[in-house]
Amino acid sequence: MKPFRLSRRTLLRGVGAAVALPTLEAMLDSRGTALAAGKPLPRRFATFFFGDGVILGKWNPTSTGANWQLSPALAPLVNVKSYVNVVSGHQVKTPDRRGHHTGQSAILSGYPFIELYAPNANYASKFGGPSIDQVAAQHIGQGTAFRSLELGVSKRIVTGEGPTLQYISHKGPDQPLQPEYNPAALFTRLFSGFSPAPEPQVDPRAALRASVLDAVREDAKRLQVRLGSTDRARLDAHLTSISELRQQILALPPQYTQACTQPQPVTQTNRDSGGKEPLEQVSKTMSDLLVLAWACDLTRVASYMFSGGVCATVFHMLGQSRGNHDLTHDPDPSAQDQVHASVVWVVKQFAYLLERLKATPEAGGNLLDNSCLLLTSDVAEGYAHSTTDYPILVAGRAGGYLKSPGVHVRSTSKENTSNVLLTCLKAVGTGVASVGGDSGYSDTECTAIKA
Amino acid sequence: MALVALLAPTGCQEQPAQGPSGGPTTAPSFQPAPVSPRILLGWQYRNAISELLGNEAAQAVQPPPDTALNGFDGIGASQLALSSSAIARYESSAWLAAQAALANTSARGALLGCTPRSTMDEECLRGFLSRFGARAWRRPLTDAELTSWTALGMSAAAAAGDFYSGVEVLIAGLLQSPHFLYMVEVGVPDPSQPGRLALTGHEMATRLAFFLAGTSPDETLLAAAARGELDTAEGVRTQARRLLALPTARTALAHFFDELLQLRELSTLSKDATTFPFFTPSLAASMREETQRLLEDIVWEREGDFRDAFDSGYTFVDKQLAALYGISGAPATGFARVTLPAEEGRGGLLGHASFLSLLAHTTTTSPTLRGRFIRERLLCEPIAAPPTNIPPLPAQNPGEPPRTMRQRLQQHVSNPSCAGCHDKMDPLGLGLENFDAVGRYRTNDNDAPIDPVSTFDRSGTFSGPRQLGGLLRADDRVLRCLVRNLFRMASGHVDEAGEQVSLNQLDEAFATSGYRMKELLVELVASDAFRYARSQEVQP
Repeated sequence: MKPFRLSRRTLLRGVGAAVALPTLEAMLDSRGTALAAGKPLPRRFATFFFGDGVILGKWNPTSTGANWQLSPALAPLVNVKSYVNVVSGHQVKTPDRRGHHTGQSAILSGYPFIELYAPNANYASKFGGPSIDQVAAQHIGQGTAFRSLELGVSKRIVTGEGPTLQYISHKGPDQPLQPEYNPAALFTRLFSGFSPAPEPQVDPRAALRASVLDAVREDAKRLQVRLGSTDRARLDAHLTSISELRQQILALPPQYTQACTQPQPVTQTNRDSGGKEPLEQVSKTMSDLLVLAWACDLTRVASYMFSGGVCATVFHMLGQSRGNHDLTHDPDPSAQDQVHASVVWVVKQFAYLLERLKATPEAGGNLLDNSCLLLTSDVAEGYAHSTTDYPILVAGRAGGYLKSPGVHVRSTSKENTSNVLLTCLKAVGTGVASVGGDSGYSDTECTAIKA
Repeated sequence: MALVALLAPTGCQEQPAQGPSGGPTTAPSFQPAPVSPRILLGWQYRNAISELLGNEAAQAVQPPPDTALNGFDGIGASQLALSSSAIARYESSAWLAAQAALANTSARGALLGCTPRSTMDEECLRGFLSRFGARAWRRPLTDAELTSWTALGMSAAAAAGDFYSGVEVLIAGLLQSPHFLYMVEVGVPDPSQPGRLALTGHEMATRLAFFLAGTSPDETLLAAAARGELDTAEGVRTQARRLLALPTARTALAHFFDELLQLRELSTLSKDATTFPFFTPSLAASMREETQRLLEDIVWEREGDFRDAFDSGYTFVDKQLAALYGISGAPATGFARVTLPAEEGRGGLLGHASFLSLLAHTTTTSPTLRGRFIRERLLCEPIAAPPTNIPPLPAQNPGEPPRTMRQRLQQHVSNPSCAGCHDKMDPLGLGLENFDAVGRYRTNDNDAPIDPVSTFDRSGTFSGPRQLGGLLRADDRVLRCLVRNLFRMASGHVDEAGEQVSLNQLDEAFATSGYRMKELLVELVASDAFRYARSQEVQP
């Protein structure tokens, strides 16, 4: 089918009577202002998550403070060590009602998870509140084409126990955000909507798509008033999602610069070969795309699920043949050695992302100078389902908010992990005063990692 | 040891407060559950596109992934909200479907139902919208909807100088509307019972069609809805029987089994290539096929007693499966029915390679996973939370290390914090230990002989899947669980206490029919629990 080639002017005249069109100029202005000189540089935030925890004896550095040394698990961070703060000795404070669920919800949101208890049906749970990437997106993600990005690498996730284990990004209890596992599809979503015109402009077809979305929005609003209160909230979320898509469609293409380079088309998919996941290739490509999306200011917030809670990821490149969760519960020392080896491997992928950010220039510094990345897991140690002495890294300088060079902070009083979440949210300029809820609530920062 | 003694008991020692095991489930009178719009599941969405616009359009769409709650995607679809990436998928899919449908210029006339006399033939465009819209939204459009959408289509046609641009906008728009994306269920006050809601005829048509036929209601069903024929249980039964005679009914029920038995996970299942070099995606696909064929044979071909699924002495194999099972009788291509050798104890669904492979690790079996599945999915007895902050296990006793899975799992029994739940799960799986992580028969594990004799609650001892299946088919809990699982998928919610009186009637109807699945389906959609609802604001 021949693609639409309507000029925007024609379209405005033709459709304007039926449906209110967006003020394209307003968006232009907003976007222009955001990029204009004199404004503070944008700050970015990401969570980087992997399932089944660590071996603490090989994770925690032995010394604290500024002179900490890389532990065996953290060795891959050698080239970015000065950008990394290690937080240890903290504890998830929400009630520990179910292994993995407790940690995954609390460490990513500060809220206790919600049990969907049905005595005769399969168990399921959902997050008790928004994950912190979505809190960040609410405050610093509104002006960009994509409010946030959700990326996934390993597909061996648990789908049978509800959104808590299945996803790391949640706008709220009833709105989990599915990650994109396919780098090629992510590339298309990020870059293909823009017209290839020499002059950056909105694709004329985009205005038509937006006008259809406007008509759909009117349908949804008329339906909404007929529904019960719970479903009115669901339709509210639907309407917000329409608005976000509309903003993406009408966004201008990025201005290519030294940092925001015009990308080559990405063809890497996430298809298994001989039962093996292409973990390394996908992880690298996802990291490359995230760096590019940040460099081009297409988004400022991301969640990066390398693997999920209770994941059955097989680290085949390490010669392993068993699922990771299965290994964590095997008390045999060789099984625990394999768990550690997989943790090192994941940290290496995280190090790659940090190194790429560090190598991307921005205003005399680099992207890592203006970012904050939180690395963590669904449990402290997989074998025990423990939630004390939680593994947490806070990487990046966040525009000078975080300590640099990084330190190892070890709590001797089992401080609340949510203190770290709040520090991250403040570091990227959200202005929030607290994070989480109930026993996971915190209005206290982890001051030791603040500059 | 003192530490171990202090551990809190787990929930597994408690009996469920209520449930298919026969507890006090029955409320004194029927109370329907709240009504809620349900997002079409991915496969329902694709089928609906196919029904409306043809196969090429259906191939073009990429609906977002579904998210299960309490064991079923349909329950997630009733509760969760759509993210912007999901909305983006629906948006791009709608345009792709519209373009694919209009790409074949010779088929446009049939789709349109009129011949445009000009670029701006409003009558033709509005006529198309009225017909297509009623099918897409499963109800007639209101005049206001017809007017505003026609105006949008006309302006797009004018802007492009092409009538079909207007058609494309209408198709793409209607497919993005919540009236298409959700099974919109609001209900109307039930005249016979103040305070409760009855589904409207069109809402009922939609529920029936997506549950029984897996797709949008056809013209006949919509016409029956418009005539009020779906307002009575008997009218619903008539249409249900008609739908169950359609080929799509088999596919729809196959989706239930795919979900209940986790068969869809076979497409991404991987096994250790060193241990099982012959395990391929093709073999995994055959495993799914075997299970679906047995169920199809019982439900549709023989219209037999559904309980046969648990202990049937026959199955369907192709060459790959026959080699895996070490039996003969497979044709050169395709599948054939074979009788299973009695001496190995294989038989029924629990002897299928699909179940045995899915509920196992990459190299070894997992009696725990197999037992948990039987508890949760077949008996509706969920396992309580695994303990948190598990203490380190005592060092292994010196001497001979454990060899068989049964010996290794002794750890669970010897640790009180584990035993409560594992006592419910492990014995079920230990009786299936003659079948390895891909479902091959074996008599040794790790060079040690396997003892497959185990126990199932108070039902007695068993050895092997066929004997366990025999115990399950005679177990009232299994049949009640099946009825409730089917209802959960059909209705998009976990059955509530107030609905049990209606579901108990289904249990009886199922038994009276000699456990015929088709009769259960007919009675399910005709039941009060399926046809009535309450407003979200009304507490039970």
